[in-house]
Formats: sequence, structure tokens, C-alpha cells
Amino acid sequence: MLHCHYTTMNIPGNTSGTDVSVLERQQARMKWRQQQQQGLSNDDHCFRGLVEIKPDPGLQYGWPDFSDACQDQLIPPLVADHNLKKRKTHEDHKQKAVSKENGVKDKKIKRCSEENSTETSPKEKPKAVETQKQEYIHVRARRGQATDSHSLAERVRREKISERMKYLQDLVPGCNKITGKAGMLDEIINYVQSLQKQVEFLSMKLATLQPRLDFDIDSLIMKEMFEVPAIGYSSEVANSTYFQVNSLLEMGNSPIDTMLRRSIGGPVSIPETFVVSSCFNQMQPGVTWDGDLHNLYRMEIQQESTTIPFQHKFTGSYEGSNLKMEL
Amino acid sequence: MSPPQQPSSTNPNSLKIRLTHRFLHNLNNLNKKRSNLDNTQIHQRYNRVKLAAYASMAHVVGSRRAWSRAILWKIRNRKVSTRHKRVDHKPTNHHHARSIKRRTTNHSNPKREYVDPNGNSGQEVKLRKLVPGVETMDACGLLDETADYIKCLATQVEVMRNLVDLFSTI
Repeated sequence: MLHCHYTTMNIPGNTSGTDVSVLERQQARMKWRQQQQQGLSNDDHCFRGLVEIKPDPGLQYGWPDFSDACQDQLIPPLVADHNLKKRKTHEDHKQKAVSKENGVKDKKIKRCSEENSTETSPKEKPKAVETQKQEYIHVRARRGQATDSHSLAERVRREKISERMKYLQDLVPGCNKITGKAGMLDEIINYVQSLQKQVEFLSMKLATLQPRLDFDIDSLIMKEMFEVPAIGYSSEVANSTYFQVNSLLEMGNSPIDTMLRRSIGGPVSIPETFVVSSCFNQMQPGVTWDGDLHNLYRMEIQQESTTIPFQHKFTGSYEGSNLKMEL
Repeated sequence: MSPPQQPSSTNPNSLKIRLTHRFLHNLNNLNKKRSNLDNTQIHQRYNRVKLAAYASMAHVVGSRRAWSRAILWKIRNRKVSTRHKRVDHKPTNHHHARSIKRRTTNHSNPKREYVDPNGNSGQEVKLRKLVPGVETMDACGLLDETADYIKCLATQVEVMRNLVDLFSTI
């Protein structure tokens, strides 16, 4: 059959014009591949013969690639008999990049070497490795798997996705038993929705709590949040709050900042500075409460119970712009 | 509640700490800017707190992530539109502001639950709606952003819960 082709190719190639020969070349190429699938060794010399004949003198635009490519692909399938790894050489990568017709070529040639490796082996065998990250990702196909450029790229993509799904599984609580992308996605969606609802709910709560509190207490909150016991204002506690206040004030809350800077030197207990600063914040609108303020100060300093609720009520009253002495 | 050493993110301590700082700072600013008295609408305040929460989240993460960039962008546009609203109190400008907002939102996926022409399942579409800024990302990047978003949301929720606990006990 090949020989028929051989002969038929010869005659028109010499006589007719360019058009026919291109088509015939393509046909011959396809048939060459098909026959290559059937048996390699037999057709070797025939193919080589074909290759020699094909590049007709007049028409060389398409051929040099083909011939080079042919030879490259001739060799690997032969060698691939021995090792069942399918190698993607550098030229193959070029081909992959250059044209997609060559992709078709690759498929068929490698399929023939696939047929040699009939064992569908497990995937512990040479795994897909991304050897170098150049423009193209060089991946090794696993044993018994398709070696398209397309399917390889898809496999890489799928593995990336599954890697991320695993990471998400760790993040989302209670997902260990669920396998499969669809179930996981459902869980993820539910979790994100529930987190957003929680943020809404908590912000509603904070909004209702807010008017009673002034956020100059925030430094105390910082202290509490990091679980420093806030029983009394012992020196260590005071120091820690002081440092935390400083760290907080890096943000640049200017009035509080200036107030604290002023009070750095003196042996002032920290709650007093807070009260001072809060007062100063509040004092700007209304200055009529000076005397009462000082009285309250003294009372607060003298009383050595927990100063936090005092402070809270004290400033809360300022917020409301009524001077309710809740003591 | 939970000790600060609990790894909650890439850099275990700092995300939570930074979030607290930032959130408190934002809340402080909110309080100072507008005088929120007791009786004024709680809803308004709630919206502002929510905005502060998301803003602090986005600011802490910065421009590294698509979702944080999207949130920051939305906030900036919202500010611009509110400024427009304030300058001219005309209904036309109101429409203008609203149209600005609408123009800035993504129109890519209308509300449909079928499989997109891109091959996205209904779930991916939902996820894209939930996570800001991932409308035009491939599946791989989408999952990446979702993971980061979940991390930050979880820490934010923790911070807020701590705050609420503190305030309620005080």
C-alpha cells in the first residue's frame, strides 16, 4: 500500500503543478502516520524513502519542518520501546508552541508508543514533574496516560486546582469528610456566607453598644484582648498598657497622642491619662463642667476599685452630653 | 478569647493584631467624624461599623490581593459618590451618584444559576459573587483569593467578637 503511494506520488509530483502536490503531500503524511502506528520497523526504510522523496526541489516551504520533525519523531518512538516514559524533547515543545497541527501529529505518534506500554500502571511511577518553568511548563506524562499537549496542560491545571481545594479544606472547618469538588464548593460558599453574616451581626451589636462607650478605652481593650489580667493597676500592667497604647497610637490619633506625650514624664497612673485625654476630647465642645470634672477626677483616683467601669460611665455621660453622675 | 499565639494566618500574630489596631482606629474615626448620639438610627451606625470592618480588613491586607483591591476601590468610589451627593442636593445628582456606583460595579454575571458559557458551574458563579474582585479570574486564582478572603474574614470575625465581649462585660 505504501509502495502504491510511493509510485503514485512520484508521477504527479514531477509533472503537475504545486497545488496537487501539496494536497498529496498531506495525504501521504496522514497515511504515513497511520502506517507508522501499525508497525514501525517494517516501514522504516520506506518512510525514510518517502522522506527523501517528499521534499521536491521546487517546493520547499513546508517541507524542511516536516522532514526535521519527521526524523525527530521517528527516533523517539523507536527508542521509546525501551523506556516507557514518553519524553517531550525541546523540539516537541517548540512544535507545541508553533502550531496545533503538530499537536495532532504528536498524538498519533505517541499513541503508537503508548500501545507498546500496555500496562496501565499506577501513578506512583514517574510522576508529572514541572522541571523548569520557562515559558512553557515542562511536564512529564505519567505512565499510561495521554500525552497531548492539551491534556498535559489540563492535568497541570487540574492538579493546581485540587491543591488549592485541599488547602481550602483545611481552612473551612468540618470539610474533612467531604470529597469532590462540588460538595467542597458548596461548603465553601456556605462558610463564606456565614462569615459575612457574622460580620453583619457583630457590627450591629457593636453599633448598639457603641454610644455608651468611648473608644479611648481601646487601649485597655488591647490589653484585655491579649489577656493581660486587668485586676488592678500594678506596675507591670500599667507598663504593658502603656506600651500597647503607644503601639496603638502609632496610627496617629493626634489629640490623644499629644495628651499622652505630655503625661509621659510624671508618675501618673495610666487610667488617669486616659481620663484626661478623653476629657480633653470632650471638653472642646463644652467647657462648662470644669469644676465638676476635677471633683470627679479626685474621686476616681482615690477610689481604688476597678477604674474601668467608672471611666466608662464617666465618659459615657459625656457622650450623651448630659452630666449624669453615675457613681 | 483565643491567645494571640494561635496561628490564624500567614504571619500568626500580626494579622490579628494589625486588624485590631486598624479596626479600632477606623471605629474611632467614625465616632469622631459624625456625632452618633444614642437615639439616632442604629441602622446608619451599623452600616458604618460594617464598612469600617471591611475597610480595615482591606487596608491591612493592602493591594496584594484582588479582593482587597476591589473593596478599597469600592470604598473610594463610594466616598466620591457621597461627596457628589453632598455638594449638590438635587435629585439629578443623586441619580448621577447612583449611576456612578452602578457603573463601577461588575456586570459580568447576571443572576442565573445555570452553567455559564465559560463552563462555570452555578457554584463558581455564586462564589464569584461572594468574594469581591474575582469576577474575571480563572478557577485557580478564584480558589486562591477565596482562601485568603476566608482567612481574613475569620480573623475579622474573631476580633469583632472579642470586642463585643469586652464591651458587653464592661
